[in-house]
Amino acid sequence: MSVEASHMTIPISADRTRRGSLRLRLPKVPRSVLLSTLTVAVLLAGWAIVTERGWANELFLPKPQAVWAAFVKTMTKGYQGATLLQHLGASLYRILTAFTLACLIGIPLGVIMGVSRNARALLNPLIEFYRPLPPLGLYTLLVMWLGIGESSKLSLLFLAGLPGIVISTIQAVTSVDPVYVRAAQSLGATRRHLLFHVYLPAAGPLILAGMRISLGFTYTVLVAAEIVAASAGIGWMIWDAAKFLLSDIVIMGLIVLGLTGVVLDLIMRGIAKLLMPWA
Amino acid sequence: MMKRLIATLAVTTLALTAAARAEDKPAKVTVGYLNLVNAQLVTKHLGLLAKEMPGVDIKYVKIGGGGDMLRAIAGNDVDFGGLGNPPTAIGATRALPIKGILVINMLDYVESMVVRIDKNITSLKDFKGKTVAAPFGSTTHYLLLQALKDEGVDPASMKILDLAPSDIAAAWLRGDIDAAWFWEPNLGKTVKSGGKILVTSGEMAKRGYPTWDIGVVMNAFAEKYPSYVDKFIKAECDGIEFWLKNPEKTAEIIAEELSLPIEDAQRMMKGTGMVPCNEQLTEEYLGTSAKKGKFVDTLVSTADFLVKQERLPKLLPRADFEAFIQPAYLEKVIGR
Repeated sequence: MSVEASHMTIPISADRTRRGSLRLRLPKVPRSVLLSTLTVAVLLAGWAIVTERGWANELFLPKPQAVWAAFVKTMTKGYQGATLLQHLGASLYRILTAFTLACLIGIPLGVIMGVSRNARALLNPLIEFYRPLPPLGLYTLLVMWLGIGESSKLSLLFLAGLPGIVISTIQAVTSVDPVYVRAAQSLGATRRHLLFHVYLPAAGPLILAGMRISLGFTYTVLVAAEIVAASAGIGWMIWDAAKFLLSDIVIMGLIVLGLTGVVLDLIMRGIAKLLMPWA
Repeated sequence: MMKRLIATLAVTTLALTAAARAEDKPAKVTVGYLNLVNAQLVTKHLGLLAKEMPGVDIKYVKIGGGGDMLRAIAGNDVDFGGLGNPPTAIGATRALPIKGILVINMLDYVESMVVRIDKNITSLKDFKGKTVAAPFGSTTHYLLLQALKDEGVDPASMKILDLAPSDIAAAWLRGDIDAAWFWEPNLGKTVKSGGKILVTSGEMAKRGYPTWDIGVVMNAFAEKYPSYVDKFIKAECDGIEFWLKNPEKTAEIIAEELSLPIEDAQRMMKGTGMVPCNEQLTEEYLGTSAKKGKFVDTLVSTADFLVKQERLPKLLPRADFEAFIQPAYLEKVIGR
């Protein structure tokens, strides 16, 4: 893939340098990366200026160096009995377990509903009703049914991730060009052949896009899931620190959450490229 | 010409004075009250605050615990609030713009540690390997850790969970937890379903760890409308007096406010210590502006404890906690 990508960029940058002779020769760093870096730099500088000048109450917006110090301290000494990596590990375990379950159940369900009209008609009322429900509304009930342990947390994350994946899988399967299906059928393909050699490869890219969105949804309910009776996890750490007005820990936790989310998404994209290079 | 100028000046002055007067009256007063059993419910139920502040829109907001109250204060969502001593120590250390003006209640057995009877827990030493719940950052979380420390029991030898009081009751009924230190009105539900009281907050007070809730006012509000702070205190003092003089009617009010059977309300009332307003100015409580009382000691030792728990960055000098306690408004209301 990387070979292809560099083939794409070389002619463009060569073309640009030819047109503007005064243009700086920095073709190795794409413009988009430069612009993104600029955004981050402006944000950080703004944060530093606002806090250094004392325009913001330090209780609400601590200085960048205070947040960094909180990061270092949590990495080495930990926060309330667990280091940052342990907190992160607890959260990632919850997210990845719930997300894997959502994929294992959501994708087959979506494929079945996409291929069979009857299955769609049977299950649609359930999915359509449940899809717009806010997951937090369900959480109180989940805690009552499943208790305060891991199962209610995993269920909440699972339920947050499921509808996105089911719906995008249905869409992916129904948007497969019927010509492919007929062509395969005329060559004597069985249902099984159709599923594994036509539907899944053709719908794969859209399913993966749905998985990425679903992972994002799972991520957004993490803090909520860890509010009830957790004693480790990034979400719990943020919640607990907020109770004691430790805003440096809160902001540090949010940054770690955000960056982890970006990394997870990059991994998902990498997997997509590996599995489906035709996309 | 001169006359006209003087007349204009006079009119302007009048108008300005009137404007200043109008500013002295807030359009809306928001009172955040904790979900506890105390005389604030009486004040609210009898509309005593509205009587003191005619024409002001009064809004009561029920707030689950100290952590939420701190957030409400930090977010400037309330004008008056109530805080237990640990959140107060946190707020004072983090320089939240509030002052403590009134004793809301002293905590006796309205806050207790409940343990499951079938688990054979007779002392804190039996807690090893058990699951214990308390709302983190609250008075009971503080007392739980203090009690464990005094008995020499390592908190790491058990599972201590952070749960809101209503979640504790639900988890208890499901059998997820073996013990919990929290407060009424939910405490009674756990005692009724297989629980017994092991330690009360009142017993801890006798051991030197008093816990209480203090009424606070936002500094900005107090600067802008000082007379309304007096009115607030007056209303709350009337509520406390009503509580002390009319226990039967008070029980009815509490029962109605919290949707409880009347016997439960009566029991809970006995577990709460209400302090008459004139007594609040004694050494035992707020003290006077000239000589602050024991509340300062409690705040200093609570803050010290929280620093050791790494929940607070540093212990402030005593003077900062003295500055937080402001008996001046109450002194004015009582007429000293």
